Amino acid sequence: MFNYYFRLALRSLRRNVVLTVLMVAVIGAGIGASMTVLTIYRAMDGDPIPQKSDRLFVPQIDNWGPDMEERPANSDGLPEQLSYTDASALIAAHTGRQTAMYSTVSALTPPNPQLLPFTVHVRATYADFFAMFQVPFKYGGPWNTTDDHSHSAVAVITRELNDKVFGGVNSVGRTLRLGGDDYRVSGVLDDWKPTPRFFDLADNRFGKTEDVLLPFTRAIDKQMTVWGNDFCNGDVGTGWAGYLRSNCVWIQFWVELPNASEVASYRAFLNSYAAEQRRNGRFHWAPRTQLRNERQWLSYEQVVPPPVHVMAIVSFSFLFVCLVNAMGLMLAKMLGRAADIGVRRALGATRRAILAQCLIEAGVIGIAGGLVGLLLTGLGLIGVRSLFTQQFIDLAHLDLSDLGICMLLAVVSAIIAGLYPTWRATQMQPALQLKAQ
Amino acid sequence: MLKMTHLSKAYRTEVVETYALRDFSIHVREGEFVAVTGPSGSGKTTFLTIAGLLEEFSGGEYQLDGANVRGLNDNQRSRLRNEKIGFIFQAFNLISDLNVQDNIDVPLRYRGFNGAERRRRIQESLERVGLSARMRHYPAELSGGQQQRVAIARALAGTPRLLLADEPTGNLDTQMARGVMELIEELHRDGATIVMVTHDPELAVRAQREVHIVDGQVVDLGAQPRLVDRAQLHL
Amino acid sequence: MIAVQMAVTVAILCNCLFISQQRLVRSHSPSGTDEPNIFVIANQWVVEPGDLPSRVTEDLVALRSLTEVVDAYATNSYPLSNSGTNDGISLQPNQKHSTTTAALYYGDEHALHTLGLTLVAGRNFNADEIIDQGENGQPQPAGVIVTRTLADKLYPRGNALGRTLFMTSESATTRIVGIVERLQIPWVGGGPSFDAILDNSVLVPYRPIWQSSYYVVRARSGQLPATMKAAQKQLTDISRERVIEKVQPLLDARIEAHRNNRGFAVFLSVVCAVLLVVTAFGIVGLTSYWVAQRRRQIGIRRALGATRSGIVRYFQTENLLIAAAAAATGAALANALNLLMVGSFEMARLPIGYTVAGAVAVLLLGQLATLWPALRAASIPPAIAARGA
Repeated sequence: MFNYYFRLALRSLRRNVVLTVLMVAVIGAGIGASMTVLTIYRAMDGDPIPQKSDRLFVPQIDNWGPDMEERPANSDGLPEQLSYTDASALIAAHTGRQTAMYSTVSALTPPNPQLLPFTVHVRATYADFFAMFQVPFKYGGPWNTTDDHSHSAVAVITRELNDKVFGGVNSVGRTLRLGGDDYRVSGVLDDWKPTPRFFDLADNRFGKTEDVLLPFTRAIDKQMTVWGNDFCNGDVGTGWAGYLRSNCVWIQFWVELPNASEVASYRAFLNSYAAEQRRNGRFHWAPRTQLRNERQWLSYEQVVPPPVHVMAIVSFSFLFVCLVNAMGLMLAKMLGRAADIGVRRALGATRRAILAQCLIEAGVIGIAGGLVGLLLTGLGLIGVRSLFTQQFIDLAHLDLSDLGICMLLAVVSAIIAGLYPTWRATQMQPALQLKAQ
Repeated sequence: MLKMTHLSKAYRTEVVETYALRDFSIHVREGEFVAVTGPSGSGKTTFLTIAGLLEEFSGGEYQLDGANVRGLNDNQRSRLRNEKIGFIFQAFNLISDLNVQDNIDVPLRYRGFNGAERRRRIQESLERVGLSARMRHYPAELSGGQQQRVAIARALAGTPRLLLADEPTGNLDTQMARGVMELIEELHRDGATIVMVTHDPELAVRAQREVHIVDGQVVDLGAQPRLVDRAQLHL
Repeated sequence: MIAVQMAVTVAILCNCLFISQQRLVRSHSPSGTDEPNIFVIANQWVVEPGDLPSRVTEDLVALRSLTEVVDAYATNSYPLSNSGTNDGISLQPNQKHSTTTAALYYGDEHALHTLGLTLVAGRNFNADEIIDQGENGQPQPAGVIVTRTLADKLYPRGNALGRTLFMTSESATTRIVGIVERLQIPWVGGGPSFDAILDNSVLVPYRPIWQSSYYVVRARSGQLPATMKAAQKQLTDISRERVIEKVQPLLDARIEAHRNNRGFAVFLSVVCAVLLVVTAFGIVGLTSYWVAQRRRQIGIRRALGATRSGIVRYFQTENLLIAAAAAATGAALANALNLLMVGSFEMARLPIGYTVAGAVAVLLLGQLATLWPALRAASIPPAIAARGA
């Protein structure tokens, strides 16, 4: 019966081209607008590392206390990064996989003396970073824990940087001149662009990874200044030493906890650490800590910016209006076909048969509308790419799942729009229609 | 086959209650060809819609092929209509979107026959009405008489127990009308049970017997000799 | 169905108009500086920090010596950059909650002239007030220059000159030595929280001695491109142990900074425009359908003496009633939607003017859209009453 209704639908739509075109256009427009925004929204809202979401954690410590009022705007007012004192303590105390990191800039002097030095973005981190976040390598691998301990001058670079500086060859073991010092290349990353940059949401949420990664301990030694976001409260003191001692928070901290008991014990450890800080006078308030896994962290950080939410509301309201429109058109069509429906009922069609026929017709309109909508979404995304900043540009691309959602949305919307007209059609009394002849 | 006893159908508005049929009884046996006549507004169309299970009735009893129809829900009535009744309407009521073959196919689809069965029945009923060659044509491409014959084929395809015809020649010219009536008579000779509603006495005469309705009630003329001189009608 | 469409359209229209207008206004808000003639050089050294003070001095002297350059200075951030430092400003030492927040711009005694700021009270910095500031650590300056908006916020009765203010950390006193007309904060792409402090800026007498900093340069009127080239050449001539990451005119920075604002406004406007078209079309369609359904009734009215314009008026009135109900519902919906967005999405409250404007606009749209089917209705011949539909 499905095939039958499908063919009937096609035939009926072909018969009244104008009406069909209008219905498809209206649904297409609504789908186009909403899918444009939804594509971007989904790209922003996605979990880039779902397979490890519940094993990667961010610890937070209230190191400012209740009388500091310059709080970040998140739901519990806890700092999103750690201070140097706390980060070092945490690193020292835990034995599992963990990393403390921050981003900085440096000047890279290419081996070719003809080329001018240029700025590179650097991520100072620990060796565990690569394993924790499953970062793919093209050549070589990360440095190891010994390098962390010995503050070695070793680095991992991205594929683009490798192409630019070394011509794309396997540069493992070669030397990189950064900020006037030499670093040994231990590995070259393959393409890796988690969206969003979950490991550092303070700045540049949808951008690329830093060009160079090197040991955190080395960066501290060389006094590489923080380039990302940095929040200070109260006295900062002078110089690099003062900065490290201060309660400025500028370090992103992640720890991998493979099972529930580890999570529980880490939580306990955090609390006892904060309590200890209180005891030794560093904190003057009740300890407040938090431990969130990656998924929770993403939702806590509210990655999707408010304007995108507003655009989503606007475009889905537009879709709603389009559907109401489509419903009106479908109703007009059904009522115009009252005679046909009456005949079918007379010939033995049950109400359910009429329902099926009408809804399948709505579904076919939905499919056509979905295709038009897909086209319009493509155009819409081109528009977005030309209107907004770089970070939007990288997000505004259709992938297969977006395609699927587009078609599904279109078919479901069309069927919803068709519900009332279909109901009217099934309620038609066959006798009345035939008497009117 | 079709037995109505003390059937009534009332239409209620806010103020008034009108009876389209009142204490109406009729018994059509298998194989009979009955004409139902009456002036306009007499209730014969209502009788037809009730007989065809297209409408519900207020009081009385209706038995179709031995089954009591009262209290059946919409789905059950649809199925009964589909299996037991073949309609022939004044306005043909073919679906203009579909060609001849697909038009006849419609009730067969609802019956649930498989593809082969449906094709066989369509073939047979088209041959019966003599229009096999027109299978792929659309209603708009056929003459009135041909359209009505397709409608008859559609009515026959499901091998119904009862044929209900409503002014079958009302929209046809004399020549086509004759052709259609000859077909109907032929069907009767082959054993079909036919109830034909008409206001045309000429047509009524060709049936076995006539049931006359006035103001919703029967005036049964039965098998009595005609009171109307046939010759006079030709003047 | 018409009512529903119109109501939703009103709700969306009001909010979109408001937000678009807000964003567009923001994108045109002045930074307070001589934008057409200013450009910024992002400079990064590859040398040891010990060398830095002399290097920076050398750079600035060289830049200022160029004939095309009016003035130049080194800083941490500049207007329209969407990045910089902000701090809480208080009236009392160790105040629990700051009185307000402001952007901190570091600059020496050349900053005022380079940016083209207008002094409305007090004085510029003196050369001996300028503190060389290393990467970390903030010795508190004795005097700062603030914007008029900030001065008024701290000291609403005027007379802010010479008064004290405190920035988060210290209990050390800082005085307001000068007030400038206007200097916008660097963050122009943010939401209402940044809007509230849009013109709150403090000029701090620091010269940043950093590995990475910005040189802000003001060119002679009309000579921007030549000056940019000359400046860059001058710096690379002095030393190649540096990276000049970018040389950007402030006008370009403006476009970049407001890109998202404008994009957002454009998006909303486009969707609204299409929404109006779809709604209008829906009204035309549904009204035409009703006209067709009531052909006979209309014919009868005409037969009984109704005039053509009477029929038109009948349909217009019918639409007006529906539209009025829809507009009222829509206005309520608009405000409800706005409240939701204020709460969850950092938007501002919808002023009543926009609600009214949106409702009226859709009302007029409805009337206009009804006109064509109404005219068609009016042309139905009275003879239909006799002949039947």
